[in-house]
Amino acid sequence: MTDIICPLCGKPNPPELDECKYCQAPLNASGFLAPSDQEGQENPFIVSSGDSDQSESQGLKPESTSPLEQAIPDWLKNTEANFLEGTEAKPESQAPDDIAEQIDSLLSQPSTPDNGVQPDIDDDWLASLLAEAGGESSPLSLQEEPLDEKEVPVNADLTGPSVEESNGDEGVLPPAQIEKPDWLTGLEASSKIKVEGEITPSEAFVIGAGVADTVESADTGSMDIPDWIGKIEPEETPSDQEEPGPQIAPAELPGWLEALRPDDSVSATEPVEDLSAADVVTAGPLVGLRGVINAHPSAIRARKPPTYSIKLRVTDEQRARVEMMVALLADEQKPKPLPSQPVLTSRNIFRLVIAAALILPIAWMIITGSQQVPAPQPGEVPGVVDFTQQVQAIPAGSPVLLAFDYEAGFSGEMNLAISTLINQLTIKNNFMTLVTTIPSGPALAESLISPSTSLEGNPGSYSYYTNLGYIPGGTLGLVGLALSPKSVLPYSLDGVNVWQSAPLDTVATINDFSAIIVLTNDPDTARSWVEQVGPVLKEDGTPLLIVTSSQAEPLIRPYYEANPSQVQGMVSSLAGGLAYGRSVGNIQQNGEWDAFSIAITASVLIILIGSISRAVMKLPMSGKKKES
Amino acid sequence: MKKILPTSNAIIAVISGLLVLLGYFFPGVFGNIQSILIGWSIILAAFALLLGIFNLAFVHWKKTKAGGAGGINSIVLLVSLGITIILVSLSGPTGALSLWIFNSFQVPVEISLLAVLAVVLVYAAARLLTRRPKWYTVLFLVTVLIVLLGSVPLFFLGEVAPLVALRGWLAQVPAVAGARGLLLGVALGTVATGIRILMGVDRPYGG
Repeated sequence: MTDIICPLCGKPNPPELDECKYCQAPLNASGFLAPSDQEGQENPFIVSSGDSDQSESQGLKPESTSPLEQAIPDWLKNTEANFLEGTEAKPESQAPDDIAEQIDSLLSQPSTPDNGVQPDIDDDWLASLLAEAGGESSPLSLQEEPLDEKEVPVNADLTGPSVEESNGDEGVLPPAQIEKPDWLTGLEASSKIKVEGEITPSEAFVIGAGVADTVESADTGSMDIPDWIGKIEPEETPSDQEEPGPQIAPAELPGWLEALRPDDSVSATEPVEDLSAADVVTAGPLVGLRGVINAHPSAIRARKPPTYSIKLRVTDEQRARVEMMVALLADEQKPKPLPSQPVLTSRNIFRLVIAAALILPIAWMIITGSQQVPAPQPGEVPGVVDFTQQVQAIPAGSPVLLAFDYEAGFSGEMNLAISTLINQLTIKNNFMTLVTTIPSGPALAESLISPSTSLEGNPGSYSYYTNLGYIPGGTLGLVGLALSPKSVLPYSLDGVNVWQSAPLDTVATINDFSAIIVLTNDPDTARSWVEQVGPVLKEDGTPLLIVTSSQAEPLIRPYYEANPSQVQGMVSSLAGGLAYGRSVGNIQQNGEWDAFSIAITASVLIILIGSISRAVMKLPMSGKKKES
Repeated sequence: MKKILPTSNAIIAVISGLLVLLGYFFPGVFGNIQSILIGWSIILAAFALLLGIFNLAFVHWKKTKAGGAGGINSIVLLVSLGITIILVSLSGPTGALSLWIFNSFQVPVEISLLAVLAVVLVYAAARLLTRRPKWYTVLFLVTVLIVLLGSVPLFFLGEVAPLVALRGWLAQVPAVAGARGLLLGVALGTVATGIRILMGVDRPYGG
């Protein structure tokens, strides 16, 4: 009768069972056949002997562990000697051939289904483990070098659980009491893998499969079995177990080593937990094992991580509170609305009254063309006479530089004088060169030149001018223009190089112009022209004439009144424009002067009435405050 | 690199400033290099104007994207800028379309602003004595009235000679004195700033 040893728990089972009656592990796939009682007890050293032979055949001799043998204590050597003596004294109950057959049955039976099918897989798996542990990953090295390392776990496995179970059930000697040969002791000492009781059944199964492969690959017919294996008598083993061994004197260990020794009361081979209820592995290299981690490829398959919704799940009550908090915060950021005021307040009415008092008289004067207010005479406005004389002194047909440096908002004040000036220059057929230092200047100049030229009755016929456009850089642009006008403004707005054609082909510097006439409402712009361009003009006596507004007139006038004057003539404000017009024979004013006069008069009256009335109304109020 | 660049910038700025300054004292020797440097600065100023336009458009583009109360104004500006650029590019800087935009929009808007300013100034002057009944407020109002009355013949009274003379004195002596004082201060400050830049103490260009 041959029992099948469970690969998981190591207990023998009847051959008719498909599963282990102890742990329900499948037996057909990977179970071991236990030796019958007549054939002798299972002995882990049977396999190790084969391995040892194999190792010997591969050149790994036991003598290589001679230093380890030297390290074996005397008590172990004595035990070994006693064991050998005892076995030699007993009659041999089994022939060596029977033992060899038993070994073959042990090694070939369990390895037939699985281990024989995929030996290479196991080797690869073990090779990968060894490679991860830091060893060489070469297959050749796995077959040759670590062979002795494989042998030790095999011995440990087979001497571990199987011997323990047989010890309890069939009276086999426990591994601690079985005396090992020298070569096994040396291998155990040189092995890095744990021995008896510390190897799990799964490891034993895998390693056993590897050993079986090795045995199969070897010539079993020529396998030499050590003598001590054949001398083992299973029937006498229990008696050997019962017989007290020679008294071995306990070794005297140092205190620190005693402290490091594990507690003898705890068995290292005692199962940690009951694996009977654990799941059986159904796939992968650990198929049929129980209580191990499932090594199914799907368990480690990389997959896309599941996506979880980031939407916060809140209850209705929480949502209501959140909305309430948001509403509170929104109200905090909102400015408090000012109390609505009625449209018709005293302030607004006062503004409307002022606007009406200014606009209505002005409109009336312009509509009627009133000329009741006497217009200013040229002699009454400073600079007008000199300005008129300088313009008249300009040679006919000569180039004149006109700088349109005033804002469009001042057109009503300045256009009267400028229109008269352009008209005079047109009459004298002067070539007008238009420049500007403000971006809107080119359009302003062009829009002013066109209506002025139409005054002659030939609208659009006067084309004796060029618009050079905008001079960037402010004061620096004026300096560059004074030094080299060609380099600063080489082309006109039409893209024509006007400096190569008449009359500008004779202009090399700014002094070559017959006159420089600056039209500006800004005192700073006028000052820049006077200070940057004026010194250059002094060299040849080119006149610098300025047409300006009333707001810039006080600051420009000192340049005109200086001795020698830096500005040879000026026309300022609406009064200067009217005076200049009168000086050239243009007495048409279209009611502008009367409108200007009545607007100033109305403004003075409004300021006076408003200030006095407010002051009168406030005096009683301040008196009441003092009394209170 | 962080130390080299500021030093090189300072060297370039100081040398350029010195060359332009020497061009005024020795125009025969440094006149040409002065003219070249000024030409470069004019080109840079023109490019700065272009950058300013792009920056203006970019700022209002961000305001438009951000929305809010002023978003509509930014949209109006961007649309106006785009239309003006397109029309001026088609007709030229002084073409018919360019002049139409200028005469139809820019000139009336600027004149209207000044007209509103006149009304607001008159209104503020009328309320000034109510809000600040101080002696200098009265002095300010009296000065304003004298200058206004002396600037033009009054509609019903005609020209008042004493007021015209007084207005001329106020405009030419106290006003110009104050303005010249400001200009002299600005000039001295400009000279000091120029010297500091030439010495490399002030580095408005960075570093």
